[in-house]
Amino acid sequence: MIIKRLWLTNFRNHDETDVELNDGTTLVVGLNGHGKTNLIEGLYLLSGARSFRGAKVDALVRSGHTSAYIRAEVENESRTSLIEIELTTQGRSKAQVNKQKVKRFRDLGDTVRAVVFSPDDLELIKGPPAIRRSLLDDTIAITNPEFRAVRTDLDHILRQRNNLLKQAKGRLSNDLETSLIIWNEQLVNAAELIGDTREEFIHQFGPSVADFYQQVAGRNDPVTLNIEADWRHTGLAEALVKSQDDEVRRGMTLVGPHRDDLLMLLNSLPSRSHASQGEQRSLALALRLATYLYIEKVSGDQPLVLLDDVFSELDETRARRLVECLPNSQIVLTSATGTVPEGVNPSQTLSLEEGQVCAP
Amino acid sequence: MYDGPVQDLIDELGRLPGVGPKSAQRIAFYLLKLPKGDAQQLAAAIVEVKERIGFCDTCWNISESERCSLCSDPQRQTGSLCVVEEPKDVIALERAGFRGRYHVLQGALNPMEGIGPEQLRIRELMSRISDEEVQELILCTNPNIEGEATAMYLSRQLQPLGIKVTRIASGLPVGGDLEYADELTLGRALEGRRELQG
Repeated sequence: MIIKRLWLTNFRNHDETDVELNDGTTLVVGLNGHGKTNLIEGLYLLSGARSFRGAKVDALVRSGHTSAYIRAEVENESRTSLIEIELTTQGRSKAQVNKQKVKRFRDLGDTVRAVVFSPDDLELIKGPPAIRRSLLDDTIAITNPEFRAVRTDLDHILRQRNNLLKQAKGRLSNDLETSLIIWNEQLVNAAELIGDTREEFIHQFGPSVADFYQQVAGRNDPVTLNIEADWRHTGLAEALVKSQDDEVRRGMTLVGPHRDDLLMLLNSLPSRSHASQGEQRSLALALRLATYLYIEKVSGDQPLVLLDDVFSELDETRARRLVECLPNSQIVLTSATGTVPEGVNPSQTLSLEEGQVCAP
Repeated sequence: MYDGPVQDLIDELGRLPGVGPKSAQRIAFYLLKLPKGDAQQLAAAIVEVKERIGFCDTCWNISESERCSLCSDPQRQTGSLCVVEEPKDVIALERAGFRGRYHVLQGALNPMEGIGPEQLRIRELMSRISDEEVQELILCTNPNIEGEATAMYLSRQLQPLGIKVTRIASGLPVGGDLEYADELTLGRALEGRRELQG
């Protein structure tokens, strides 16, 4: 899959950007604040994901306007499709593929697949569990529509169940107990499926992360990935019984897939608390590389690789090792200085100034 | 924004389901242009429906009298009872040719909207089951999370009574094409496949 051309209209600081991309490596150069990351963000949104910077629509639309447009020409096995996204601060944002409306934004992921490396990736290691859960779930969801649906169901069931617990105001009445049985059953069905799918995924994903870590770090330190989910030992049904009193008192669901974490052990120690900054950075890179490999394997298609100012954070040797791991797919990378490590051979360079592409 | 009564009308219309501020304004201006007689007819219809229509004491469907026409029809089979969420579901099942009796729950379990078992017509359903001779209870709540929860709740409550409880199937629409079915529906249809008798 190749993005051939990208148009950004009133998107962040791009008021009218039109760039052609080739199937090799594109280097985007520009001073800070001139719109490099915005270009990467625009490309990433084409995959139906939310902004990797966690931005809301209001932040994506150029100030003084009500709508932003992202359009792209995408080539898939020598067939070209046109993707159009309208982000609007009033009402719902819309997306079309070949002028056909897509039902859910996430369905764009069937047409465009992308992996983004960003300086914020350190949060994957250091940040709260929610970030790691969404790394897992988003990656699984790309090629698994059943998982996508169960995930939506789980959120819905949890909202209902939490409301029920909140209304009880800390008292376990008979009525609450019978209602809980029903919602528990629904929760258990969705949760066990999510738990099984995540476990299966980690089985493939874990060794691949370990492999990439060793390549990027240049050391043979063992890396293991586990899903931290105590309820999996007994099954959620039993775990819910055990935590029922606590849940009633606190008015929310305390066990289940929405509370799990991805535990990453480096030399048998938790990387979140024990790994050095450099090790954490290598591990974050390994997670992204493994994500790329997974998507490529299950979809049979090479995702677009987006590297947002990644090399400035790395020392020379690790930058070189990362370059060796990069796939032979379409790559877009940004740099403030315009210098890239050895081994990266941009086939074109775009220069950005105040959100406009200029001749380099 | 507009003079008193016009704005009042827009606000009232805006509270209707599926009507946003823009549509409310459009409808209000349409009503302003309407001949007086037509407007009064509409107003009278709204008042009348509130005054004359209530709920059937037996099945809780909407009804003009204490007992709706379906419940007082002696032709209907008494053995099977179809449990639905809303009166409009009764109409749908009637069109499908169901000839038993109905029970309208008037909603589904939905803690987010504060609807628990007490807010639904479940107690009434229980007393009906012991009074009438019900052989089969067909749970026709919607195949979504709230509908499934309601069906699950009912089947648990009914278990000790020892009557046959069935759940409406979900799967492919008749006359449709497989290729247009979404993967979830198709998955359900595959699960619920049945053997053909040769």
